[in-house]
Amino acid sequence: MEHSALRAEFVAAIGADAVLDDPVSLRSYECDGLTGFRVVPEFVLLPTDTAQVAAAVAICARHTVPFVARGAGTCLSGGSLPVAEGVVISLQKLRSVLEIDVENRRAVVQPGVTNLDVSKAVAEYGLYFAPDPSSQQVCTIGGNVAENSGGAHCLKYGFTVHHIHEVQVVLPDGAVTTLGAPSPHQPGYDLLGAFVGSEGTLGIVTRITVKLLATPTAVRTLVADFPSVEQAGDTVTGMIASGIVPAAVEMMDALALEAVEASVQAGYSLDTAAALLVELDGPPAEVATQFAEIEQLCKDNGTTKLVIAPTPEARAAMWKGRKAAFAAVGRISPNYFVQDGVVPRTRLAEALVRISEMADEAGLRVANVFHAGDGNLHPLVLYSEQAGEHDRAEHLSTAIAELCVDLGGSLSGEHGIGTDKACSMPRQYSDVDLATMTLLRKAFDPDEICNPGKLLPTPRLCGDRPGPHRAHPLEAAGIIERI
Amino acid sequence: MPPTTFMPTTVEELRDAVAGSATSHPRLLVTAAGTAATTGGRPDPADAIVDTSALSGVLNWTPADMTVSVRAGTPLADVQAELGEHGQHVAFDAARVRRGATVGGLLASGDGGPLRQLYGTLRDLVIGVTVVLGDGTVAKAGGHVIKNVAGYDLAKLFHGSLGTLGVVAEVVLRLHPLPRTTATVALPADAAAAARLGVELIASGTEPAALEWTSGTGLLVRIEGTPDGVHERVDAVLATNTGALVLAGADEEAAWTAVAAVADPHSEGATVLRAGTLPSDGPGFLAALGAAADAAGVTLTSGSSVGVGVHTVALAGGHHEPVLAAAHAAAGSSVSVLRSDGLAPDTPLWGPPPPAVALMRAVKARFDPADRFGAGRLSSWLAPLHEGVPA
Repeated sequence: MEHSALRAEFVAAIGADAVLDDPVSLRSYECDGLTGFRVVPEFVLLPTDTAQVAAAVAICARHTVPFVARGAGTCLSGGSLPVAEGVVISLQKLRSVLEIDVENRRAVVQPGVTNLDVSKAVAEYGLYFAPDPSSQQVCTIGGNVAENSGGAHCLKYGFTVHHIHEVQVVLPDGAVTTLGAPSPHQPGYDLLGAFVGSEGTLGIVTRITVKLLATPTAVRTLVADFPSVEQAGDTVTGMIASGIVPAAVEMMDALALEAVEASVQAGYSLDTAAALLVELDGPPAEVATQFAEIEQLCKDNGTTKLVIAPTPEARAAMWKGRKAAFAAVGRISPNYFVQDGVVPRTRLAEALVRISEMADEAGLRVANVFHAGDGNLHPLVLYSEQAGEHDRAEHLSTAIAELCVDLGGSLSGEHGIGTDKACSMPRQYSDVDLATMTLLRKAFDPDEICNPGKLLPTPRLCGDRPGPHRAHPLEAAGIIERI
Repeated sequence: MPPTTFMPTTVEELRDAVAGSATSHPRLLVTAAGTAATTGGRPDPADAIVDTSALSGVLNWTPADMTVSVRAGTPLADVQAELGEHGQHVAFDAARVRRGATVGGLLASGDGGPLRQLYGTLRDLVIGVTVVLGDGTVAKAGGHVIKNVAGYDLAKLFHGSLGTLGVVAEVVLRLHPLPRTTATVALPADAAAAARLGVELIASGTEPAALEWTSGTGLLVRIEGTPDGVHERVDAVLATNTGALVLAGADEEAAWTAVAAVADPHSEGATVLRAGTLPSDGPGFLAALGAAADAAGVTLTSGSSVGVGVHTVALAGGHHEPVLAAAHAAAGSSVSVLRSDGLAPDTPLWGPPPPAVALMRAVKARFDPADRFGAGRLSSWLAPLHEGVPA
């Protein structure tokens, strides 16, 4: 369709101020957190309410124009990468907390509200929103719903899908509906469960009823150093075996610790092979007993230094280090890839050995930060663009994700498949599995205009023959570029 | 003549039975233990029955990974017994489990029990699934790791599907450690007081595993954890109410048996409804049903998971239809009929469809285009798929 005609329809529906198509504005939406992929969209729309989102989508549907919803643009897998000749629908103007229901422990929020602002809005009532991705200061609830975001505390509390009661959705034909129900008893297919984590391919959320939890009465946090990654891992195994479910268990290796200390000075040791950050929360006596057991497990497994956060400020400092880890790697390497894969917890040691071997073979360094309780690895592949290491580093990063699948795990624990890993999906799922997933996609979006090219591999993106990750054809064609 | 019954023992046999019967036996009814045979509608006559009860057994269980994969026809009680040897369990306790309900059936029926307060239902615990569709497609989604966002979560789509999309063949579940100690405190309360107490107990950080109220037992608070942690919290619960009582041994067992009996009564002729509401709307919902029951000469036995707003109501005596109608009026599409023994055969079992019913129909049409599965279940919502039935 003619640009000017489409523009006129958008302007009539949502107003001229809400329709961006000048090159400078468009450029600022060309990528998300996966900055290597860039596509300039044809329009960026800034609707202010559900009706405007629905009107914009209806126009896209009428003319079969692809659209991509976008919150804060922090997605690490290119889930909100624009589509060429497509529309970006930003939810940044839908950022109100609409309702707080203390008695029923829930809040109704718009999708552009940041994750942390939800917890801040309800803190005075002794409540909080449990999912806490590292980017929680900026990432939006709408994005959390799209990606089924987790965070450090999901070992005990689960993921976004466990913390959403209902969502209002603008479907790919522009219709507005509601998924979910006020209680866990919702007869019929769990469409809400299928929608959460669908990476923006089934519709756009415009209103979310989040579940809130009572702030835990007691929280205790420690950091323990270990002479080897294996000993740190054995400590976690010991916790699981004794039936403890910590709120969080994070592990960092020497390289990751070096990066964090260079960046935020969280007080981590620089002379240790691995460190565990363990947090327990819950009723005081419960926490006290299990915390003592964890201290003992650390000692039994040869911890060389154990620091217990004496104050909430000290705890915050410990977490600041962990949450800053990705960005901190920038202090020790000019460039890096953040990887996200999952292995069964019992194969963690094997995975780390293999990653180390693969890094040596590639002549690159890999820093490891991971959620040790659930086997969710975040290897950070360090490289130098200037030294021409890009391709080798990207290949290593992809190989690590696929190693996770080979070890019985998954390509992604929380960052999503997006654009980044769509072509690796055949490693984890058969053609039949993927075709069956496509049935769900088609039920919601028969014309595939809602965030196309994400999550599921397509011949256009990945070539006719599914297989190991290759250079992106759009890149080869000069449509997208890497920096 | 009784219909043909397929009784596969492997996924391959299941696939062959489904694929091979497309012409000879187009309409299939999936069953296993039969504990939810009456849930969600009266099945239409089928050409063949797919009985998954021989598709059973634990496939893979690595205790240190806290996950288990099982064939769908495995009774959950059997799985729990095996897991218990290593101090683990599936944190799920629907009443039907005692009658041999299978993992696949529990997923497809969207059932739940008192532990839904802390752990949710199977939709919150399932991490992978293998399904067989009407054309013999065998598809997997999810996997064997708890944290996994790769691909669409089809396991959740099949939650509550009541056998209308395909056959659940294998299920992977996340596990939890068995609590070291549990305790039950009973608080005398009517429905309204129980709902209020539930709010207070959750707000005070008691972290109850279950908050279950029935008209017979009052509010039962189950606390799980370490011995001293449980002790501390039991004391806190006792302090909230002078009539509170710690139940132990046979008394504790009897109280929870009474809760299960409301959700899954043994008596013939009963009608059993389940409904979801906002937790704070629960007492009003039960009051509305109570008023309808009084007018219709029905005796109600009610139970609620007061912290999450799920209610199960058993009806005995009198005319049950007006009570169901009152439930539909008060809780709309969140009402399902678990047993319909006391209802006239032509009573509409489903209330107004949920807002997303069009999507539900679209999913049904994509996954089961030949309309082979589960005719009669969810029927008024899926109706436009069936010829001759008005939308």
